[in-house]
Amino acid sequence: METILTIFIIFIAGIAGTYFLGKLNGILRSVIFIATLLVTSWLFFTAVSPDVIIEFEVMGIMLSWGLTPLAYVFAIIVFGLSIIIGIYAVKAMEGQRSLNFFFANFLISVMAMFGILISNDLISFFIFWEIMSWSSYFMVVLNHKDVQRSGITYIIFCVIGAYAMMMAIMIIYSSTGSVMIGDFISNFHAFSPDMKWLLPILLLIGFASKAALMPMHVWAPGAYSNSPMSYTALFSGALSKMGVYGMVLVMIMIVQQIPDGYWIKEVIAWLGGITSAIGTLWAIKQDDAKRMLAYSSVAQLGYIIVGVAIGTPLAMLAGLFLAVMHGIFKSTLFMVVGAIERQTGTSNFTEVTGLIRKMPWTFLAALMSIIALAGIPPLGGFIGKWMLYESLMGSNHYLLIIVIFFSSTAAFLYCYKFLFGFFLGQEEKEWSHVKEAPALMVVPMVLMAIFSFVLGVFPGLILKPINEGMQFLGYVSTDNRFWEMSMIFNDWGNQVVMEPIVYTIFAIFLFFLIFLTLKGYKNTRYVTTKDISSSGEIPREDENFTFITGFMQPFFRAVAPVMKRQIDKYYNSFGKGLEALFDFTRRIYNGNGQTYALYFVIFVILLLMFRDSLF
Amino acid sequence: MVGSPVLLIAIPLLAAFLIPLLGMVWKESVRIIPGLVLAYLTFLSASLYIEVINTDTIVEIIAGWRPPWGINLVFSPLTGFLTTIMTFMGFIVWLYSYRFKRNVEFEAAKKYFIFLMLLVAGSVGIVITGDIFNQFVFIEIVGISAYALTAFYTGRDSAEAAFKYLIMGSLSASALLIAIIIIYSQLGTLNMAQIAANIDNMNPYYRIIAMIFFIIGIGVEAEIFPLNGWAPDAYTEAPGPVGGAFSGIVAKAGIYAMVRMMFTLFDIEGPMKILIVIGLITLIVAETSALRQEKLKRMLAYSSIGQMGLVLVAFGMGTKAGVFAALFLMLNHAITKPMLFLSGSFLTFNTTEKYIKQITGMAKKMPVVSIIFVLGALAITGFPPFSGFWSKMAFLSAAADENLLFIMATILIISIFEVVYYFRVINRLFFFEYDDKISIEPHKPGFNGMIALFVLAFIVLMIGFYPSSVTGFIDLAADDLMNTHQYIDKVLQLGQTIIQ
Repeated sequence: METILTIFIIFIAGIAGTYFLGKLNGILRSVIFIATLLVTSWLFFTAVSPDVIIEFEVMGIMLSWGLTPLAYVFAIIVFGLSIIIGIYAVKAMEGQRSLNFFFANFLISVMAMFGILISNDLISFFIFWEIMSWSSYFMVVLNHKDVQRSGITYIIFCVIGAYAMMMAIMIIYSSTGSVMIGDFISNFHAFSPDMKWLLPILLLIGFASKAALMPMHVWAPGAYSNSPMSYTALFSGALSKMGVYGMVLVMIMIVQQIPDGYWIKEVIAWLGGITSAIGTLWAIKQDDAKRMLAYSSVAQLGYIIVGVAIGTPLAMLAGLFLAVMHGIFKSTLFMVVGAIERQTGTSNFTEVTGLIRKMPWTFLAALMSIIALAGIPPLGGFIGKWMLYESLMGSNHYLLIIVIFFSSTAAFLYCYKFLFGFFLGQEEKEWSHVKEAPALMVVPMVLMAIFSFVLGVFPGLILKPINEGMQFLGYVSTDNRFWEMSMIFNDWGNQVVMEPIVYTIFAIFLFFLIFLTLKGYKNTRYVTTKDISSSGEIPREDENFTFITGFMQPFFRAVAPVMKRQIDKYYNSFGKGLEALFDFTRRIYNGNGQTYALYFVIFVILLLMFRDSLF
Repeated sequence: MVGSPVLLIAIPLLAAFLIPLLGMVWKESVRIIPGLVLAYLTFLSASLYIEVINTDTIVEIIAGWRPPWGINLVFSPLTGFLTTIMTFMGFIVWLYSYRFKRNVEFEAAKKYFIFLMLLVAGSVGIVITGDIFNQFVFIEIVGISAYALTAFYTGRDSAEAAFKYLIMGSLSASALLIAIIIIYSQLGTLNMAQIAANIDNMNPYYRIIAMIFFIIGIGVEAEIFPLNGWAPDAYTEAPGPVGGAFSGIVAKAGIYAMVRMMFTLFDIEGPMKILIVIGLITLIVAETSALRQEKLKRMLAYSSIGQMGLVLVAFGMGTKAGVFAALFLMLNHAITKPMLFLSGSFLTFNTTEKYIKQITGMAKKMPVVSIIFVLGALAITGFPPFSGFWSKMAFLSAAADENLLFIMATILIISIFEVVYYFRVINRLFFFEYDDKISIEPHKPGFNGMIALFVLAFIVLMIGFYPSSVTGFIDLAADDLMNTHQYIDKVLQLGQTIIQ
């Protein structure tokens, strides 16, 4: 049997097993859950070859499954993240509600993402897309928090995107008679000029809704912060990348074929830039780590979309590389928040302080991911951002650079807030009971942190599959010529050159470690963070000098005009207006038999009057 | 040959008359006999249907009078398809209500099952008859039994709902009668095939008037706007399984009558503007009204009306693909909506008002019923991999073939509202805490009811995962409806016939 089918069968068996056998025993559930993820990923990485294509017919439509090199890049994100997050989730979800449903649904999401990636035709793509939508929806509302607002907002944007996509797919099917993505791309030139604009825009609406692009991002903060953190890690890390995957296909394969398609690219790139700026500003304003990371995800996806939309080889490379990196560091950060919430019971910066000594490993993971997120060398985010700036300069988008640079710099503010708020500052008695998270949660987080370091030092590991994916998109191969594309690869590329640098960094670290240990071994005095003096006074025990509320007020005074206009408000008032309108239409059925009889008579008269035009 | 189509009408009618008599002998027979009858009808209909598909349409002549003089029954791939669905849904409704009514005293159960039998007999009659006056009679049978079932609970509200239904039903009956009179005075025949063959000889003016009165007459049963004022009240006040029967059986018969009239009787080629316009308005008004409903059954009723509008739009496109999509939608709706009504009435069993807020957090108490409700909601809103997705896809594909982009966009936008109100209920059911103050006491679902729900859920999943299992049948049925000349030839020159 084909490996792809085997993987699906294992997934379905795993879903059923997790749900039904999980009712018997919690350990059995975890074992089946992890085993399913491990076996499918193992099969995927060893046995799936890109050449095999499975074809079958449903309702007279030919469907086809097979793995393309581009999809392979995203599949690496999906499978890599799902295993690590899966292991984390087993421990992190302990004691939560509806565990059978959670784990089964987790597998459904992973299966749906895999299905999206192996679909070579639009119908199965759409089917898996929708499965992904509803399975993620059930995760958003799983915590019983803010269900009717954030949940419904999420599902509305899901279906808006899905229906836009569905309309495009059906137009494609009826005009070309085929739903193959390849056929659509090669026949695109034959569409009428109107369709050439309508189809890509409809498809882009569909993908942008998942990638949380402005103005379809309003669901993201609520959805990301309300689902269990173990799922949000996958949600933000992998699920949102499905939107990016679709956008890559549309932007490169379709939009380039439109005469004047240049404008679509510019608009999307600018939307991406604005999304990142707005997302960053809102992220800074949040006091809750979940919401902050949710807005930060929106912002980071903005960068990725900028890269994808610009579409020069370097920009595409930057976009895809950032997609992988964002998957790694953002899911780590969500896992960190999950661990902190599990240990302390809150995810609010203003409440928790000084966790660095209590949760050192969590801090390490958070630190590494924050460094990667902020784009500081030598971690992966730096390379991605560098390439993005360089590609923007190379394609003369100077104004856009300013926007991106602004949001990238402003991102430091929330990065600092995250680290400082949770881990640094004076310790409070209230949190003295807090312990490090269990090993099963810490190991995945640290592992991810190590990944983001490894990919920062050896970007070639991931650039190789990305490069193959880009060749599939029609770019010239850049294998072993990365240094021609960007100056950064002179030093940091996948050449032999960087090995000494890594060794040097390690040596310096080691040296300082030994030096400090030796120097401080004898005369170290262990103190608490309350052991301080301020202005010549020794503060009382209950006084806290950690400044954790109302961060960056002057900054917000400066950007207040930008943040005053919130798109959520417009949507809300639009929604309210619609509901009021429908409350009016509802009154057509006023429950009065005489009125209904009157309707009958009016209907007869109307039909008789308009009989010439209606029949 | 296992039997003949006339048995599909004769047996339930006979059973309806015999039930009270047998009930005097053995009280339990009131509940059991309808089940046996409906099971037999399902079997008979299915085996006849398979025979029809493999050989040829059965045209049965009643009392030896050949068409166009006598009444004839036509059991074709289309009518067989619908009859099989209806009898099967009748059986499911019986299965659900078999013990549902155990608490009810004997008299009430007797009435309930008598009228259920009449409802099925009438609906099947509407579909398989080949004579418009005969069809009118069956519409009246369905109507009368439906009024009675609406008033089943004998409260003030039920009586009011039934009375409204009665008013609308009588108005529609008179409109239908006018249409029939016009046709008879012009063509001198009541046989559908004969009318279809001679419709071109009719004065166009009379033809349009007759068509308008037909649409109005049948429209009440087919729940088109603005003739559907009775529907929300009737669905809400009638017992839960009856709501399922209305949406799964009666509405389907109404739509069939409407479509048979448009496609065969008046032999309209190409798109039918009237159906598209009426269907779209029905869809928009119903779905937007459903958004703000507070009662579960009322919401489902509006959703049902909206789906009927969608079916009419699909038929109105007048193409093979459109008819295919419409029949597929009818099939899915016939299965999914009763599933929602039945599981919904389990969820709201211990309440008279059936408010949506009363099922808050019920999934904790009744997990299986709740999951089936969600399955139905996902299927009806067209989420893959459930059955509704394929029919919605067929619909959009048919609309795209005709380049009806505006209709596609409208229907997709309306679908968003549908998703919103169904997901609000799902949220309440699953993702709210159970609250003693708001929520009602859960009711332990009966064993037979659960079997009925499982069967429906299985079909939804089967169509969802393997749509080719039904598309072949639908394809034949669509061909059958499209081919008017074949219908005329078969009926008038008698293909495979039974003369009784």
